Amino acid sequence: MLKTLTITPSRCIACRTCEMSCAFKHAGSSGLGVARIQAFMIGEGQNQLLTCFQCAEAACVKVCPVNALSRNEQTDAIEVDEARCIGCGLCAIACPFGHMGQDGRVGVAIKCDLCGGEPACAAFCPTKALEYK
Amino acid sequence: MTTEQTINIEIDGRFFQARPEMTILEVARREGIPIPTLCHHDALEPVGACRLCLVEISHPNWKGWKGLVTACLYPVEEGLRVSTGNEEVRKARRTVLDLLLARCPTSAVIRKLAAEHGVTATSYKENEVETTCILCGLCVRVCAEKGCNAIGTSGRGIEKAISIPFKQPPPDCIGCASCAHICPTDTIRYRDEDGVRKIWGHSFPMVKCTSCGQPIMPEKQLEFEVAKSGLSAEYFQTCPACSRKKTVTTIRTAFDMSAIESVEVSG
Repeated sequence: MLKTLTITPSRCIACRTCEMSCAFKHAGSSGLGVARIQAFMIGEGQNQLLTCFQCAEAACVKVCPVNALSRNEQTDAIEVDEARCIGCGLCAIACPFGHMGQDGRVGVAIKCDLCGGEPACAAFCPTKALEYK
Repeated sequence: MTTEQTINIEIDGRFFQARPEMTILEVARREGIPIPTLCHHDALEPVGACRLCLVEISHPNWKGWKGLVTACLYPVEEGLRVSTGNEEVRKARRTVLDLLLARCPTSAVIRKLAAEHGVTATSYKENEVETTCILCGLCVRVCAEKGCNAIGTSGRGIEKAISIPFKQPPPDCIGCASCAHICPTDTIRYRDEDGVRKIWGHSFPMVKCTSCGQPIMPEKQLEFEVAKSGLSAEYFQTCPACSRKKTVTTIRTAFDMSAIESVEVSG
């Protein structure tokens, strides 16, 4: 069975280790602007983590004019082919959840790809708010 | 069951396997062998316009014949020997850059690339018409790929130019600015000002984010995207930042955050 990235908000302490490990894994930098996951502090000790839902009928895939987005059958994640992406930003606009980002340095779309089956965020989360199981 | 055919080729003395439909450039890029390009983009059909990806090929069966070909167009074949950086190739590449520098002496991208290859000044007569366009055609190809075909090339030889029909704002342009995003020398520009996008002589009124009022895309593009994708217009009427905020508040109000155990978000 396919593994799932599971979020348990009650365990999240908004330490943003997930964002940092994500940025390092994908861009080799700690600049959180390139992280594919976001931790939100919404008060009262209630924090929220946002990352791609990997929609079955994904709007981002439907609107991409150059088919740069496709599903990895092994992980069920939608991945960006960075060499194909023309940086038009349409996927980011179309995503109803705001989960698509853009790497301003190279002008390509960025999104959670579950790290090809080994998500760094889950591996580094100190409180198991993020689990891949 | 048929096994997938593989082709064995040699690049710079190293041996690689490739699928028959691959080009030399695709194999080289996969293996991390640098070949410079200006007119290439993975999403578009290669055309070999910029000539920068020239490589030398030879073959054990060709009785010593060798030649320069564009790596972006040349398909791999069994036993092919490729050299990506010998003196012959470097000389050809310098000539290409020398010519590009003569055409576009003011282009920062071309100047930088030429300098990297040891060409700091052109040995030809500099173009008197100021341009940074190298006629690579990426803009025309991406416009066609998008499905608009609003821009094209006109003229031949020294008169060749990227142009718009009858020098009027192109009727098929939707203002998506894909041409500007893909242009390797930053020649095509657009401006978003006061909720209006200016490109190719057009002034497109833009759709504004229903939450924050930030301009998102031209109204004409919205119509195009809705028809092309089959998604409702709502998908394109909220900016990414507001979509994110909406997701946070929706989850917060839909669930009592302290009561829920966990949310499955993917897979």
